[in-house]
Amino acid sequence: MSRSLPRGALASVFLRSFLIQGSWNYHTMLGCGFAFALLPGLRAIYGASANEIAASLGRHVELFNAHPYLSGVALGAVLRLERDGTDPETVRRFKLAVRGPLGSLGDALVWASWLPVLSVLALSMVWLGAPGGLAVVVFLVVYNVGHVGLRLWGFRVGLAEGRDVGRRLARARLGTWTHRLRSAGALFLGALVGSVLAADGGLADAGAIWVALALAAFLAGLLVGHRAWRPAAATVVATIALLTAVGMAQ
Amino acid sequence: MEIVLVTLLGGLLALDGTSVGQFMLSRPLMAGTLLGWMLGEPVLGVTVGAILELYLLVSFPTGGSRFPEGATATVVAVASAAGSTTPGALPLAIAVGLVWGQLGGVTITALRHANSRLVPEPSRPPRGPADVTLAHGIALLLDFARGAALTFSGVVLGRAVVSGFGVGWHLAPPASVALLLVGGSVSAGILLRDLGGLRRRRTLLVAGMALGILGARLL
Repeated sequence: MSRSLPRGALASVFLRSFLIQGSWNYHTMLGCGFAFALLPGLRAIYGASANEIAASLGRHVELFNAHPYLSGVALGAVLRLERDGTDPETVRRFKLAVRGPLGSLGDALVWASWLPVLSVLALSMVWLGAPGGLAVVVFLVVYNVGHVGLRLWGFRVGLAEGRDVGRRLARARLGTWTHRLRSAGALFLGALVGSVLAADGGLADAGAIWVALALAAFLAGLLVGHRAWRPAAATVVATIALLTAVGMAQ
Repeated sequence: MEIVLVTLLGGLLALDGTSVGQFMLSRPLMAGTLLGWMLGEPVLGVTVGAILELYLLVSFPTGGSRFPEGATATVVAVASAAGSTTPGALPLAIAVGLVWGQLGGVTITALRHANSRLVPEPSRPPRGPADVTLAHGIALLLDFARGAALTFSGVVLGRAVVSGFGVGWHLAPPASVALLLVGGSVSAGILLRDLGGLRRRRTLLVAGMALGILGARLL
């Protein structure tokens, strides 16, 4: 069915999906961005019928949310449903059903695994003496091969499967990929900790007291979790301000 | 001219953070390296970027949550420290960057509230494609303007702080970096927790540490 939509329209929807979060808001979340991305496809489906395009846009500006990299799954599937002439209530129910899974799957796979794992890898490279430019290039290339690949895969799956995207998503075993990435992340994080400790200009060079303080901070983060972040950053800023004030007073 | 380029870069990287693409050019290590190269201070750019990347390892643009804005933090910090020879340039610039990153998060939340009034209301559907395109385009422009304004104000303040108070810094450079790394170590601990915790990941963590120490000694 997707073959009957012009390639140009499909390419345009896919490219617009990179802007889908541009009008993210607390009222309809991705709603407006979803309608914006879908627009070239709706024009291809409804042709010159301005009323039908406006009516369809009106349905798609409603509340919707998904991980941005997996939003293409919903865009592709909705395009197919609209092309098939599926009744609007079914399309609405489909969007309601996929928005939770597309958000949580993407958050776990990308934000909590792919991104931090590659960030840690790039940081380890820097601490081990690789040129900063090399670490940046490696990060950007590897990260975005996965990023753009995931967007493209999701859009194609949506177009091919329509309402049945759930089965394809389950077969893709994104959870298994997440688990593997997190294992690799633990290895890279260890390498980062080791290199920060032992590299020239690292913590060991500054003295045992700094190693002990860093260990205490590491354990605080491990035990308390994300709630420890703001107090830790505030403590660093306050310490810098205090040391500067003391230095200025002398 | 330099402040104009830095401001424009801040606006563009802010867009990459959430609104456009999310290619992660806005991550601190990438933004710091890019700006350091632009300002002719590549080592400073990588140093600031690497330190702030460590802090923001566990900061992601998830859903509607408020998160520190890494791009603004980094651009402000690098531009504040660039060209300064005072001993406190690095720690003070990082401190200003951390504060501005938090402020960036606050302004993103405010922009998202403003977008709620800008986008077509589902109960009053758009009259046509132009309504949707215009609302989306204005929201993108506002995000760019937000990032640029935040960067400009942060750089002006940061440079004033570094030049005014940098001479009062008395910690030696290795201790200054160590102080900043101690704060970043909290993020490393949080990340290990997110990756499954110490009990579940200890073997891989210890193996990685051994590789890291070996690599640091040999390379």
